[in-house]
Amino acid sequence: MKHVIIGNGIAGVCAAEAIRLLDVKADITLIGDETFPPYSRPMISHVLDGSQPHGKLPIRSEHFYDDQKITPLLGRRAGGIDVANRQVLLADDTRIDFDRLLIAAGADPRPLRAEGLYLKNIFYMRTQDHAKQQVAALDGARRAVVLGGGLVGFKAAYGLLKRGLAVTMLITSGYPLSMQVDETAGRMILDELVRHGLTVEVGVSVCAFEGNGSVQAAVTDAGTRLTCDMVIIGKGVLPACRFIPGAQIEVDLGVVVDEHLQTRAPGIYAAGDVAEMVDIARGCPWVNALWPEAACQGRVAGMNMAGRPVAYPGSLSRNIMRVFDLDVLTVGNANPNKDSGCRVLKAGGAAQQYYRRLVLKDDVLVGAVMINRIEQGGVLRSLIENRIPIRLPPERLMTPGFNFGQLLI
Amino acid sequence: MKQVVVHPERCVGCMQCMLACATAHSRSLTLLAAVQETPQPKPRIHVGAGRFNEGFPNRCRHCDPAPCQTACLAGAIYRRDSVDTVMINPDRCINCASCAMACPYGVIRFHEDPLGPSGHAIAVKCDNCSARVAKGQTPACVEICKAGALTYEEMDAAMRRKTRDVSRSMSTDADQPTIPAGVALLKSIKQSELQLSGS
Repeated sequence: MKHVIIGNGIAGVCAAEAIRLLDVKADITLIGDETFPPYSRPMISHVLDGSQPHGKLPIRSEHFYDDQKITPLLGRRAGGIDVANRQVLLADDTRIDFDRLLIAAGADPRPLRAEGLYLKNIFYMRTQDHAKQQVAALDGARRAVVLGGGLVGFKAAYGLLKRGLAVTMLITSGYPLSMQVDETAGRMILDELVRHGLTVEVGVSVCAFEGNGSVQAAVTDAGTRLTCDMVIIGKGVLPACRFIPGAQIEVDLGVVVDEHLQTRAPGIYAAGDVAEMVDIARGCPWVNALWPEAACQGRVAGMNMAGRPVAYPGSLSRNIMRVFDLDVLTVGNANPNKDSGCRVLKAGGAAQQYYRRLVLKDDVLVGAVMINRIEQGGVLRSLIENRIPIRLPPERLMTPGFNFGQLLI
Repeated sequence: MKQVVVHPERCVGCMQCMLACATAHSRSLTLLAAVQETPQPKPRIHVGAGRFNEGFPNRCRHCDPAPCQTACLAGAIYRRDSVDTVMINPDRCINCASCAMACPYGVIRFHEDPLGPSGHAIAVKCDNCSARVAKGQTPACVEICKAGALTYEEMDAAMRRKTRDVSRSMSTDADQPTIPAGVALLKSIKQSELQLSGS
């Protein structure tokens, strides 16, 4: 059986491992854009903030491809898929035959439209190479501008603050992390960063960069000019599915897959940041571009490709970050629509340095936000993921003494 | 392979296992010296209060496959097959708490540990007392438990014993209850206290 995997991110790597585990003879080819050994993408923010060295990024051995008997085609991007002839087309017109194909092409940073993007020291934050360049640019840098108040923007701002730069963050929505947390939690996180020197401008975006070779200023649509010697763009990511033929493989925002992570075309699967499937908490199709999610999806896709049918119940958004003295954990749908019929419970707040928010639909938990004392967050995630009806008063889930034992009869 | 089996219905909430665990994961390995160590050793088994304030000893289940291992951003969590134990490499751990979000039992804690790198917090959880077991000892929590809530045995044997106990207690001429009378009494007192107080 010829397996071809597009993408050497965590979804592709986990899929290859799962195939190899179930089928020692399988022929596995892995097409990867990045030539670096398989590494931890979320850890690049730790490289930026200086807490971890770049050398600690790889999470598989440098002999990974040999050990797993995988044929790597690195430094190449897939340019198309010939579904009828079961071939992957590379940019240089090479054709690779497959019996089973996994699209784990990941996502690319959402591009920014602004003038002067060619200037030096303007970065996206997605690959280990970006992190390396950012760290190199820190030398002598004093002022930075971060675009975007989402997860990437936040981690970039945090990293640069820890490196001692004066950071200005520009966000378009009213408060940061508006996709992940509610306003109370968003403000607590913002206050923590502001207390450590972050400047935030709400409701503005950048239309141009100025500089002489390197960036020297960012010009906003409000007409203000922010001097800076470094810019990080964190406006989220978009699934990398431009090369996928939409006629045979259904593409919405991401590649649409069923519960076995198979696309509309038989024998062609998708997993990770590129895949779109039902979101357990929201109950509708969603792209959850998250690393632990990609690892699980990759493994399940690999098992299905190797001939063991395994169903995936759906994806679930989840995030955890440590921002100076705050630990922030968010799972599922923290901001339900007003007409969704969800019940919201809250406890704590900024004064207590402790916050809980639970979102319940009937007696099933669908979302949670925790600030500090996050150790039991996994129990809440498991309740959401498995859609377990809550039989004890839900307020008990927010008390400091809550533990797994209370869920037992 | 023997493993630690938890019998929550027998736990009286004395928390002796927590002390023994912290001592077993200290540098000095004795309680008196351990309390004076910096950083202070902390337990990896956690006795929480259940719904009726009864004790609930919560420790790592060493799942296979382990969700914490899949979620670990730094590749620090691995399975040691020879002892069927999920381990955390303290030198690779980056204290990101991704494992806390993955663990369905809530058994991972984050702090500086005497057996980890000095000066910064890491993820810490039960390691099945692999150092003690290698020396032929039983895990510390089992050794100290007086109520029989923690036992160290072959899983098959434990399952058979439990099935036998249950069927015996169901028969008409049951001579002994599954839970010792003292433990059962303590539990019912706790339960009624809570019901009387109305919470």
